Amino acid sequence: MIRFLIRRLGAVALQVVLVTLIAYALFFVVSAATGATPEQRVAGKTATPEQVARVAEILGTDRPVYEQYLRFLSGVVQGDFGYSFAYRQPVSNLLFPAAGVTAALVGLAAVLWMVMAIPIGLAGALRVGSRLDRLLTTLTQVGISAPVFWVAPMLVYFLAFLPSQGVFFGVDVGASVTVFPIQGYTEFSESPLEWLRHLLLPAFALSIGFAAFYARFLRALVREQLAQEYVLVARAKGLSIGGVVRFHIGPVVAPALIILLGLDVGATLGGALFVEQTFGLPGLGFLAVSSIRNLDYPMTVGAITLAALMAVLANTVADLAQAALDPRVRRSA
Amino acid sequence: MQAEPGPARPGAIRLGLRLARRDRSAVVAGSMLVVLFLLATVGAPLAEALTGHAPEQPFSGGLTPAGIPLAPMSRGLLADGAPDPGGAFFVLGTDRLGRDTFVRLLYGARVTLVVGFAATLVALLIGVPLGLVAGYFRGRIDAIVSRGTEAAMAFPSLLFAIGLAAVLGPGLLNVVGVIALFSWYYPARIVRSAVLSLRSEAFVDAAIVAGASDGRVLVRHLLPQLAAPLIVYATSVVAVNVLTEAGLSYLGLGVPPPAPSWGQMLSDGVTTGLYRIQPWVAITPGLALVATTLTLNVLADSFRETLMPGGRT
Repeated sequence: MIRFLIRRLGAVALQVVLVTLIAYALFFVVSAATGATPEQRVAGKTATPEQVARVAEILGTDRPVYEQYLRFLSGVVQGDFGYSFAYRQPVSNLLFPAAGVTAALVGLAAVLWMVMAIPIGLAGALRVGSRLDRLLTTLTQVGISAPVFWVAPMLVYFLAFLPSQGVFFGVDVGASVTVFPIQGYTEFSESPLEWLRHLLLPAFALSIGFAAFYARFLRALVREQLAQEYVLVARAKGLSIGGVVRFHIGPVVAPALIILLGLDVGATLGGALFVEQTFGLPGLGFLAVSSIRNLDYPMTVGAITLAALMAVLANTVADLAQAALDPRVRRSA
Repeated sequence: MQAEPGPARPGAIRLGLRLARRDRSAVVAGSMLVVLFLLATVGAPLAEALTGHAPEQPFSGGLTPAGIPLAPMSRGLLADGAPDPGGAFFVLGTDRLGRDTFVRLLYGARVTLVVGFAATLVALLIGVPLGLVAGYFRGRIDAIVSRGTEAAMAFPSLLFAIGLAAVLGPGLLNVVGVIALFSWYYPARIVRSAVLSLRSEAFVDAAIVAGASDGRVLVRHLLPQLAAPLIVYATSVVAVNVLTEAGLSYLGLGVPPPAPSWGQMLSDGVTTGLYRIQPWVAITPGLALVATTLTLNVLADSFRETLMPGGRT
């Protein structure tokens, strides 16, 4: 287990270096190509060349690129992501709260999609070809085909906006009903209940596509296992089909699901921006996109790096969970 | 996929017929895809000619006096907001600027299809050779390719794609390039693992013993074996790429306006908040997107069932 951890840490370090390097390279290419350098941006259009040079000195952008990069990297290790050009304060001041919002959103969404996917996937696998299975297959097919940037506004319209206008599922109830707020975010520390109310609909919007995909994945995995001979033996010994799923198939498919979960949670931490945008949640993706537009390189590189770090963390946790659940993985490591 | 060489490979037509007999949804999905292509190529200019509405042409009667777009199946309005009996007819309503949504939707299909298929093709052209080489030569080459794909997969690809698209600026070729850059590693991995297991098959040894060069073994012996998983994979990836293109357009990083694309039509309705007053501006382009990806996904499923029986979904 210790060797396993050391190897994981080595891979993490390599990935962080690569991600930051490419993010850095990307944005130096931008400033070189467009001439819109950060110091010019900060100093303003009317600044004299001397003023721009002074700003460059203060920002450290007059230094060679590799020196800036190394300083950035050593800062990241200490939790310091530099100084935002656009917001004029340390990047970490904005980055960490945003990461918290995104982590809460994605975490809640992951719970929701697992809760939806497991029963749907099992029901399909146990009755392959039945009317229920065909219905569920069609539904999940639609679920994976619908983009989140369409699902999210549709949910806002039908579940938040129309009720607020007094129309609920096509029925005019006459009075404004606020089940879900249309937009915005409340800190957990302010009111846990309001926090959940603000996150529930965004998390649901985010979870639909994943729920459909996971249901299909689980159906295929369980179907594959049901054809194995050990299932026949267990059934012959008198174990119910529910018992087979619980005691035999569950432990076999769980590690694969957990690895996939780690990958998807990791990827979504940097990719929930459509949901964040639609619902006005101040998350990481939202921050990254506005920083890209503002040419705020420290904030952009910081957001990308933190998203990558959290993704690596999610994958590592999933790998450890898999190792704990699957003796083969444990031994081979 | 099956390792042992089965009976003689059926021709494309026989295979198509088998697919059609087995799976009615494949026929429906296949026909829908053909219809979509026809709509994009012939249908768009035809609709423009029939309605007399250019895709980029705003109509003063296409908005209510308050500036709200019209719902589907409505006739243009007079300046005082009353329906104009001789006015233009809008099959799918109008958009934020009073342009004809139906004509825009048809022209937008071109962007969707071109980017979806072209980006997939480019990703395959990068990923397949890398996977072939990594799986065939193993050793150090494999290690380099594998570490490269793993590192690429760990990136927050959407953020990078947005960053890159912002750097390159909007444009059709840029979008194709950006999407391909963040999807080549999937075919690379699929091909690599398939070649790794095929590598130890007798037919590979036989070809080598018979004096075939590495290149010949790769292209003439191994590549054809990969057709089935690649067709299945490519079909479902076109669906993913259609959504990615729409996502980039949604963020204003796709094909530059006023040329229509579905993602940009959707964001036009959503990010302005207009969809709360006139939901059709968001419903229509979204439904077009879902119909397209659903068609491709159903087709991918049918290919999978027919070409890779017993294979994992």
